[in-house]
Amino acid sequence: MSDQRVFTRHKAYEIRAELQQADNKRFKASAARQKNALKKIIANITMGYLNEMASLFPEILKFWSIDDDMEVKMACHQYALAMAPTKSSHFEEALKLIQDDFASSNERLRIMALNTLSSIPRPSYYSACQKCLESVLTRSSESADLKRAALHAILNMDQADKNSARPYVSFLSQIINEQRQFPSVRAHALSVLDALNESHKDLPPMSLSHDTCFNLLELLPELNEWDHTLILNGLTANYVPQTHSESHHLIEVVLPHLQHVNTSVSLAALKLILYLINYVDSIHESIVKRLSSSVVALLNKPSELQFLVLRNVILLLLGRDKPFLQIDVSYFFVEFNDPIYIKDTKLEILYLLAKEDNLRQILQELKDYATDIDIQMSRKAIRAIGNLAVKLENSVDDCINVLLDLLDFGVEYIIQEIISVFRNVMRKYPEQDSETIKRLVAFNDSVQEPESRSAMIWIITQFSRSLPNFLTLFRVFSDNFGEESLEVQFSVLNSSVKFFVRTRSSETEELCLKILKTAVDNADNPDLRERALMYWRLLSLVQQRADSNISLDDIVEIVDGELPLITLNTRLDPAVLEELELNIGSIASIYLKPIGQVFRLNRTMTLPQSPVLNRNRDSLEMIPDTRSSKSSASYSDPISTRSRAGSSPVKKMNDHDKPAETVNHLKMKRRTTIGSSKVTRKPSILSRRISIKRPFT
Amino acid sequence: MISALFIYSLRGELLIAKHAKSTPHKSMSEIFRIQVINNLDVRSPVLTLGSTTFHHIKSNENLWLVAISRSNADSAAIWEFLYKLNALLSAYSLQTEERLKEDFLVCYELLDVVLEGGVPVETELAQVAAKMSVKPTVPLDKINTISDDLFSGANRIFHRPKQDRSRSSGFSVREQSPTKPSAYPWRPLGIRHKKNEIFLNVNESISILVSRDGSILRSYVDGMVDITTRLSGMPLCRFGLNDSLSVDTPFASETEINASSNSRNKRAIPKAAAGSVFLEDCKFHPCVQLDKFDFDRVITFVPPDGSFELMRYHVRENLNLPFKITPIVTVAGKNSFEFRVTLKSLFPGKLTAKDVQLRIPLPPETVDCEISASNGKCQFDREENALLWKFSKYQGLTENTLSAVTVPMRNSSVNVQQWPRPPMSLKFEILMFSNSGLVVRFFNVAEGERNYNLVKWIKYISKSGAYEVRY
Repeated sequence: MSDQRVFTRHKAYEIRAELQQADNKRFKASAARQKNALKKIIANITMGYLNEMASLFPEILKFWSIDDDMEVKMACHQYALAMAPTKSSHFEEALKLIQDDFASSNERLRIMALNTLSSIPRPSYYSACQKCLESVLTRSSESADLKRAALHAILNMDQADKNSARPYVSFLSQIINEQRQFPSVRAHALSVLDALNESHKDLPPMSLSHDTCFNLLELLPELNEWDHTLILNGLTANYVPQTHSESHHLIEVVLPHLQHVNTSVSLAALKLILYLINYVDSIHESIVKRLSSSVVALLNKPSELQFLVLRNVILLLLGRDKPFLQIDVSYFFVEFNDPIYIKDTKLEILYLLAKEDNLRQILQELKDYATDIDIQMSRKAIRAIGNLAVKLENSVDDCINVLLDLLDFGVEYIIQEIISVFRNVMRKYPEQDSETIKRLVAFNDSVQEPESRSAMIWIITQFSRSLPNFLTLFRVFSDNFGEESLEVQFSVLNSSVKFFVRTRSSETEELCLKILKTAVDNADNPDLRERALMYWRLLSLVQQRADSNISLDDIVEIVDGELPLITLNTRLDPAVLEELELNIGSIASIYLKPIGQVFRLNRTMTLPQSPVLNRNRDSLEMIPDTRSSKSSASYSDPISTRSRAGSSPVKKMNDHDKPAETVNHLKMKRRTTIGSSKVTRKPSILSRRISIKRPFT
Repeated sequence: MISALFIYSLRGELLIAKHAKSTPHKSMSEIFRIQVINNLDVRSPVLTLGSTTFHHIKSNENLWLVAISRSNADSAAIWEFLYKLNALLSAYSLQTEERLKEDFLVCYELLDVVLEGGVPVETELAQVAAKMSVKPTVPLDKINTISDDLFSGANRIFHRPKQDRSRSSGFSVREQSPTKPSAYPWRPLGIRHKKNEIFLNVNESISILVSRDGSILRSYVDGMVDITTRLSGMPLCRFGLNDSLSVDTPFASETEINASSNSRNKRAIPKAAAGSVFLEDCKFHPCVQLDKFDFDRVITFVPPDGSFELMRYHVRENLNLPFKITPIVTVAGKNSFEFRVTLKSLFPGKLTAKDVQLRIPLPPETVDCEISASNGKCQFDREENALLWKFSKYQGLTENTLSAVTVPMRNSSVNVQQWPRPPMSLKFEILMFSNSGLVVRFFNVAEGERNYNLVKWIKYISKSGAYEVRY
């Protein structure tokens, strides 16, 4: 091969010399050398030396015209595409060559030519491209591959010039409906039209007729997985059912595709079904179960796909008061070698799934995670326990017990996190017994992080009545007021004022004045200074002017008022939810954010109007399984019975036990603490020995 | 959808830059290198900056495959595509950095074939190979097969090109006869084989998690059936499983006819499992007629030629657990643990498991371990800080015991009470055993009117997934 490595930086003149050299000698070996030089050019473009390589355009053109080799042609096209951003004057010469390529009889070359024509933003290229497009799309003798390329060329042109694609819109819908067209071409036409609609906000929304929709669905058996996705995605929100029965029928048709092995097909089918459910009056419970089991099956994919599916599980769980997913929590237990992003997502799901009946199981899991090696994971698990306490009122005692157990574990970061979490728990349940408080403040000296420090201050302040030594505890924080972080400084300031107005003694007064003075005189942060001043004035208002219309009670009310109970709101805005459900499996579904926020160019999707559209998503009637007819309905029956049987008694490892035929004992008995075992064997071992001779039947 | 596709080496050198839609900024490749490759703490497989999204996977050979998209693209399709692309690269032996640097033009050609305007169009190797000017270096029937040693003697459809460097120079632009349209896009007309063979592999991996008190917190089997077919013409295959919904369907008679041919395999499956299996969910290759399956639970399909993954399934109930692990862990003295682990195989005595390995994580700052094992080989792995107890073969219904005492560092500062005790995990592989109890009940192939002569092979392989026990 070559003496030089291809993937290194070259100067243009070096390559030019090499090309000319190869050109001079007219014998076999030159072809290989030329090709090697071409490879160097492409490699250098990849490495980013675009400007250096731009000067080789004339040489490229020369090859383009004389060589017939496919590989050379490919390299030439690749070069032209890479040069598209430069305003090289050689493009006009190249145009002729590209058109020649398009006129050749090799299909791959024609596709390449079409692609190049549509991707180079020059008017002359566009007009040439349009001519080619017409010839390809109207002639029925052209192959499916070429037609597909032509369809995507429309999109390419549209990117650079917003008006060039407009004439093709009606033409595209014609292709979609054409029975004689290749199925795959129809699928791609649908997706191209959908993409055009996305980028042209002024086009009327694409609405497909009833016949088109069913025609397209009939194509599915003849298409490969990627085209499946295109059709299922294309139908979502573009076909609007007008009657209940129509949507029921469509759901029936789409259901089997949930079982496709390709995640994108399966999720696209899920999306289409969820969309159609908005247009039905009632839904069979068996369908809901099939949705759930299809999601479960996707969980054994590579971790990236698993992550995507889990994110969508969150979306589905948030979707309705009674979510469509009925999946056993154990699927979301964290595995030891899950990547961190999966662990995080599973935690979130566990939190969402927690209910009274599975709380014990979930708490036990979370407790295990809290002692995980990964610090972040452990912190998140503790957060989740705290959030559970706030979410489920009946669970609070269990959660607090778990947290207190963990506290005894004595690991640094666990303590920090638990103290922070307890603040939230107590905002929700202010009536805590003094025992819990005492156990918490025992860690007064070990809280380090700003968040946990200020949480500790808050706890001391709020429950000072049950803490006789609260001032001593508080001094740990107030003594180094100047060195604390801002968050803690604010807490110290608030608390010192609270102590003062609550119990007015010389001690609290002194403390409060000291803090106020330090904050006003020495604090760098203007916010802190302002707040301290504000308190100062408020307090002096009462003390100086007896006739002022603000009494001490008012101040107590302001400074130390009743705090409202907190609630956790996990629900998404209904409009956002609606949009996300129409985008299952997409990037937005990972972030769970409205599409407009992430992608400015995308059109906001909403459910199209129809006489049968349900406005209230929770009013959907669920028909329980009654009699299983054969086929789809019977499918779900065993799930319900089995899962019930499976969840009630806890399965034990011992249930699977079988007697062993051979038992190998430890050859050398290691020293044990029980000395007597040297002489006599334990009876249990003896009896096993006997049983070996006659195996169990 | 995908506006550009980049392939980087492990160190972040850009090897392939394919722009599917108009050329994006050159800096794009730079951004990914800085944000992900050079960032040690990557906590997500997807990155969105502005409205540009990077989906990335890392191949076995440590290449980064990255897809860039500019709008709200279908992530599921992108990741599926990246994995398929990875498999295709291996088929053309472009999976390493060196090979890719040498033959990157082949990679560009491949991308031209599989992507059209940023939308994946075709990723089945057989179809892709038909459109490429270069033949895959791996024979078609080798893709996806997990254990290929069984078929090594078989004739191959694609021969390994014998280093023919000349092929590219000799190949010039010529008329390619358009393949005749067939009713099934994945199977061209006129395939001929001397010998009609079909290999069916049932691969299962079992995952369980056992808690400290011995209760099973989670158990499931992920199964995959992959098939290698070498069949002539347009065969229609039908096969049925002992799935609980199909057992009492009307074609039971058919089962009896076929039962004889399967009896050899059945013997391998424990009696407890011979009943029926409830498949939680199955996913099928696109060639399977899903509506037929929906109706009568028979898997009906016209297979593509070569090797492919026919179905995946998931089973949670009535599993045959192959191993029972009973750990007794006690604190023996200061910062030292005593492990006493009993490992018992629960599968039939006639079978053997291979490559059995129990991994016991040890507390930090362990310097050595006093080990005594009744059988197998047990070592203290200092790097992993774990005990590895290995057996090259493990007979069914056999019990073995391991006893080990850890020796901590002399003035160790770590308090072992705080050690989180990560679960111990077991690895194994058992041939002709099915964790779920799934059995193929019948398998027949029809081509036109006649049933042609056919050799069928069925193999069951059970492997461990996450087989974990807490203590």
